[in-house]
Amino acid sequence: MHLETAADKCTGCRICENFCALQHEGAVWPARARIRVLTQSDDGPFTPNVCRQCEDPACAAACPVDAIQSDPGTGTWVVNEECTGCESCIDACPYDAIFFAAQGGVAFKCDLCQGEPQCAVSCPTGAVTWVQ
Amino acid sequence: MFRYDGYAGKWLWVDLTHGKLETREYDPALAENYLGGNGFGTRLLWENTGPQTDALSPENWLIFSTGPLCGTTVPNPGRMEVIAKSPLTGIYGDANSGGFLGPELKFAGWDAVVVTGQSPGPVYLTIADEQVTLRDAGHLWGQTTYKTEEAIRQSWGDPSVKTAIIGPAGENLVRFAGIQITPQRSAARCGLGAVMGSKRLKAIAVRGRGPIHIADPKRLHDLSLNLQQRLRANAIFPAVSAHGTPGIVSLMNALGRFPTQNFRAGGYEHADRINADALHARAFVRNVACFGCPIACDKVYQIPDGPLAGTSLRSVEYETLNAFGACILNDNLDALLAANRLCDELGLDTISTGRSISFAMELWDEEILNLDDTGGLPLRWGDMDVVLRLLPMIARREGFGNLLAEGVRRMAEVIGRGADQFAMHVKGMEIPGQDGRAQRSMGLAHVTSTRGADHLKAFPTIDETGFPDEGRRRYGDQYLPELVQPLATKYKAFLVKDGEDFGAVIDSTGMCKSGGTFVLAEIYWPDIAAAIEAATGMSMSVQRLQEIGERIYNLQRCYDAVHGITRADDRLPRRFLEEPSPTGNAKGHTIDIEPMLEEYYQLRGWDAVKGWPTADTLRRLGLPDAAERLPFAPGGDPSSPLPWGAKITGLPQGKGDPTGWH
Repeated sequence: MHLETAADKCTGCRICENFCALQHEGAVWPARARIRVLTQSDDGPFTPNVCRQCEDPACAAACPVDAIQSDPGTGTWVVNEECTGCESCIDACPYDAIFFAAQGGVAFKCDLCQGEPQCAVSCPTGAVTWVQ
Repeated sequence: MFRYDGYAGKWLWVDLTHGKLETREYDPALAENYLGGNGFGTRLLWENTGPQTDALSPENWLIFSTGPLCGTTVPNPGRMEVIAKSPLTGIYGDANSGGFLGPELKFAGWDAVVVTGQSPGPVYLTIADEQVTLRDAGHLWGQTTYKTEEAIRQSWGDPSVKTAIIGPAGENLVRFAGIQITPQRSAARCGLGAVMGSKRLKAIAVRGRGPIHIADPKRLHDLSLNLQQRLRANAIFPAVSAHGTPGIVSLMNALGRFPTQNFRAGGYEHADRINADALHARAFVRNVACFGCPIACDKVYQIPDGPLAGTSLRSVEYETLNAFGACILNDNLDALLAANRLCDELGLDTISTGRSISFAMELWDEEILNLDDTGGLPLRWGDMDVVLRLLPMIARREGFGNLLAEGVRRMAEVIGRGADQFAMHVKGMEIPGQDGRAQRSMGLAHVTSTRGADHLKAFPTIDETGFPDEGRRRYGDQYLPELVQPLATKYKAFLVKDGEDFGAVIDSTGMCKSGGTFVLAEIYWPDIAAAIEAATGMSMSVQRLQEIGERIYNLQRCYDAVHGITRADDRLPRRFLEEPSPTGNAKGHTIDIEPMLEEYYQLRGWDAVKGWPTADTLRRLGLPDAAERLPFAPGGDPSSPLPWGAKITGLPQGKGDPTGWH
């Protein structure tokens, strides 16, 4: 099971970011979205970018306190409360898919919404899909 | 914390005269009675300006206003209102734009920005969350909107900053100058760009990184998803999504509702050269959405080859295809797109700009204008070389462009010689791309709109071509079939009133009228009431929401009334009343507005003689202050004086800089 992105279908609407933040933060807050729509220009093209759930993740390897662990229930990599906010994982991730929360001072990343990723649920064009 | 979620809870007050920026708490009573957006702006304009206010003076208020659903997860929540007294019409003015600026402002922690006064020199305002700064814009003054945005983003060092910018047209107080929103989109109508120019405010640039708090995230999530699913299942979703507003060009042409040759006709023989298929085949690049919109009616276009190769633009709308196509008898799509792009760069409303040109072309055709009047420019129908030369002249008020920059009503006054019988405006606002002879409700909508000729206040869509299913879904069986018949007058007053009230609410929430609410006619009163409850925590019934819509619309009418607007101004141009439409469904038809208008006043609780809300109606809507102010209104001239203080007696001569300032 994984998230699949199709840049050619993305319109840059950012619905995925909004639903992601609503799910995780209880607020509409794109700066806290775990998925981000990347673009060089307002006119696109647009690329949805989200954690690949790597088999051997660079973020987890870089973490000095082993705060990034595989969730036993879902098999996804999640940041636990051990995180000290050193940002090593953010430098290490080759996909720019783990972020730092200025408020709170910790890293955060996609946890696949514990099995029903809201980005895929809400994407109106099929640019982000949940492949089982 | 503000009492209600969904709001940032504060707005920014900008006094440009003294260079002061102040934080103001959002008034909970204002949220409860006017929601935000359009309602917030209407109330502030009513309280702080009036007949004594020259629209282009420091005393006018320019209000950028988001609503409680703007930037949330409901479908198409990317809209922001701009409200001010209009220098084009001299009455209530507003304009609305999609894009990303409204949500960005809320993420920065502001529900609205209210601009008053006049800066001694050009400035722009930056908003980076809590940090608000006025900056020198001397180097940006005179620049196009695109160049200005590029420069602001470069100096900020962030390419994702969202902007509202005026072009040379706004600086030079062109009466129909728009405000470009991250320049591809526009808060175009009513000349609010000139208001911004008169304040010497070149741009507002915003970057926001904060949250919009939601009262009931689970409820809003489920409701948003449900609304999106309903939109995607809607029968016309695929067409709107694929083509946007250009998708209706061919349909409106067939109905005789596509203004042609300055409204001489309602159909254009070469419409197939400027319709959605022609546009798509020639220049389509990709779909691109406004914030949070599942429809993505906007597209990126680029001319691939020929002399205008590389011209790229966004938001090519039905209205512009009409204004720079059929209405001036132009079938050259490349030149049309170039004119659209140029209007975006110069900061011109494509509708009023196109209409001023088609009006001048008809006057040329009627031999009312000659080469002496136009400074040597022949104004032949469809001559795009001349049109493309005229646009910068309008924006800079050069030569004949200085007259066009005044808009159709003032042009007719200046020119005289019977020009007014071809002047297609209502209350000084150029009529957009509809024709009441082919759709009765639109004729009524044009005269009852509080900002002058406009389709978007009532936005009657379900009787454009006859949508019985939508009519039934919204209103039940009892109004069918007449309600959805374009040429029937029965029930149209009812349709227009409901649209105006619902539209006032939508424009006050931050949602889009071109999205699920009016164009797809899918989202309606109960959905909005539920969404407001879920997002804000405010208790909201359909009845209360309808009363809010009515309150806002009545207060706008009161604003117009104290400016001397009465029933006598609620009329269409002579052409629609006397000249039968020559083509399409409407062939042989004129329009008689009076019976519909009579019914409309009755439904509204307005005095049928004056066309004003009665004191009882105003008290019922909780507007006792309006009831007090209305009967004693001084009335007077609804038009504001020319910016350079002269009365128009002849053709203005080459005033490149009417402000006499730089």
